[in-house]
Amino acid sequence: MRPSASVLLLTTLTGGGYGLLAWIGAGAALQLLPASRPLALGGIALALALASAGLLASTFHLGRPERAWRAFSQWRSSWLSREGVASVLAYPVTIAFAIAVYQHPHGIPARVLGAAAALASAGTVFCTAMIYASLKPIRQWHNPHTAPGYLIHAVFSGAVLLALLSTAVLGVPGTAAAAAAVSAAVALAAKALYWRHIDRQSPLATLAHAIGLPRDTEVKPLDAPHFTENYILREMGFAVARRHAARLRRLAVALAFALPAALSILAGLRVMPLALTSAAAACALLGLLTERWLFFAEATHVSALYYGRPV
Amino acid sequence: MTMLPKPQPGAKKLGLVIDLDTCVGCHACAVSCKEWNTQGEAGILPDYDRYGPKPDGVWLNRVHSYETETQGCSRTVNLPRSCLHCEDALCVTVCPTGASYKRAEDGIVLIDPEICIGCKLCSWACPYGARELDETNGIMRKCTLCVDRINDDSLPAAEREPACVAACPSRARHFGDLADPDSEVSQLVAQRGGADLMADLGYRPTNKYLPPRRASIPTPPASEPEKPALGIGSALLRLLDRTLSR
Repeated sequence: MRPSASVLLLTTLTGGGYGLLAWIGAGAALQLLPASRPLALGGIALALALASAGLLASTFHLGRPERAWRAFSQWRSSWLSREGVASVLAYPVTIAFAIAVYQHPHGIPARVLGAAAALASAGTVFCTAMIYASLKPIRQWHNPHTAPGYLIHAVFSGAVLLALLSTAVLGVPGTAAAAAAVSAAVALAAKALYWRHIDRQSPLATLAHAIGLPRDTEVKPLDAPHFTENYILREMGFAVARRHAARLRRLAVALAFALPAALSILAGLRVMPLALTSAAAACALLGLLTERWLFFAEATHVSALYYGRPV
Repeated sequence: MTMLPKPQPGAKKLGLVIDLDTCVGCHACAVSCKEWNTQGEAGILPDYDRYGPKPDGVWLNRVHSYETETQGCSRTVNLPRSCLHCEDALCVTVCPTGASYKRAEDGIVLIDPEICIGCKLCSWACPYGARELDETNGIMRKCTLCVDRINDDSLPAAEREPACVAACPSRARHFGDLADPDSEVSQLVAQRGGADLMADLGYRPTNKYLPPRRASIPTPPASEPEKPALGIGSALLRLLDRTLSR
């Protein structure tokens, strides 16, 4: 599948934004966050800014962005519509949470609304993941790894941002550094399991099956309907060479997970905390963009079979 | 509304039955489809870079040719590929706007060009690659089974069939109601063992493909290159051949 910049930005930025919001909300609900208004309010502002940037980027993916409002109507059947509805519902909840924190950081309203904001964040990321997980023609997406993967990556990128923010506001990352390091390890494990899974899958169909002939028939493409690329081949026939994929996987592991984990641990030990948590956040963002690029580029669509491309 | 319609008693299932045995791969159906649908209510079916090095455009029907071999018999199979108007059409349920819908009365899957936002998700959901983005208008396009012909009462009854069916010179394309077991198309499917494409994926396509008939003459194995004959006559001929080939 062709990785388009708008969708890569959508999924990574909303992942980071809602992940951070989930940490702040859950932290407020369970009273685990330091009693600091600037930390909570700054976190909420940064989370909303990132999520909004991601959602805005997604409209560049549309052929008719001016009609985007229509996408809120089919939540009964469509995960894309549910994502839109969930992201819009998250705004009033988050703003109410911010007001409650401003009035009383440890009051009951802040705790209840914090839990609600965390749930709204998780719900929105889950809807985004299900857009991909529900697509049967793409085996690398339609599997039980996709939805947990998106949630875990959101929690991880949120933790890295929380460590940066804690350092900026309080001078030290505190337990957020540990949270970032641990969630990096969990996110890496989830990604490794996902890669193992997709590497062992067999194709959804054979060419004989795709053209309705018995399975024992040998089929080779003879003439394509057209001799240049069309929409189907550009969008669905995109494939990254295995060699490049392996190299990019190593790059994603290093940038997205290994470096941020190491930098967070050092920052937690008070070695240049602000510089190192900033570097960890930058690495994680670049690494997750690489990881998300691979999520698209490594995904094959069964319709490419008709053109004799590997699926 | 992107919920699939509940099955209604007596509802039609309009679709195509395509005979892979008699399809000659002439592309007349694809050309005729393009010609008819470029003047439909959704606007032209655009082409890009028409006279440049990489011509491209939106086609609702495309014909592939394959070389097949089974049990020692090889043959060419041409596969016209268009929307199969599936009963479990994932392209409909994933649509966030309600632009993509399946008609309750006859099962035809359509796109409302006034509502589509061009998010491409329906094309990702279709395993048959039947939907193409119209990059000029920013909306998705697909086979309509020529609703503007089959439902046009001002046309003579014999012309109320999809353009591709009307154009097919080898009568490999048949249009009709697959819900009616006595219809001509259902009879063809029953007699010839009409198959679904990628049935395992569970989309339950309405369109059926009739398999090629078994070839009765096995394909001879590729012949060995002739060995040069012996004898003085052959030696002279070889000498002559070499001399003339210079």
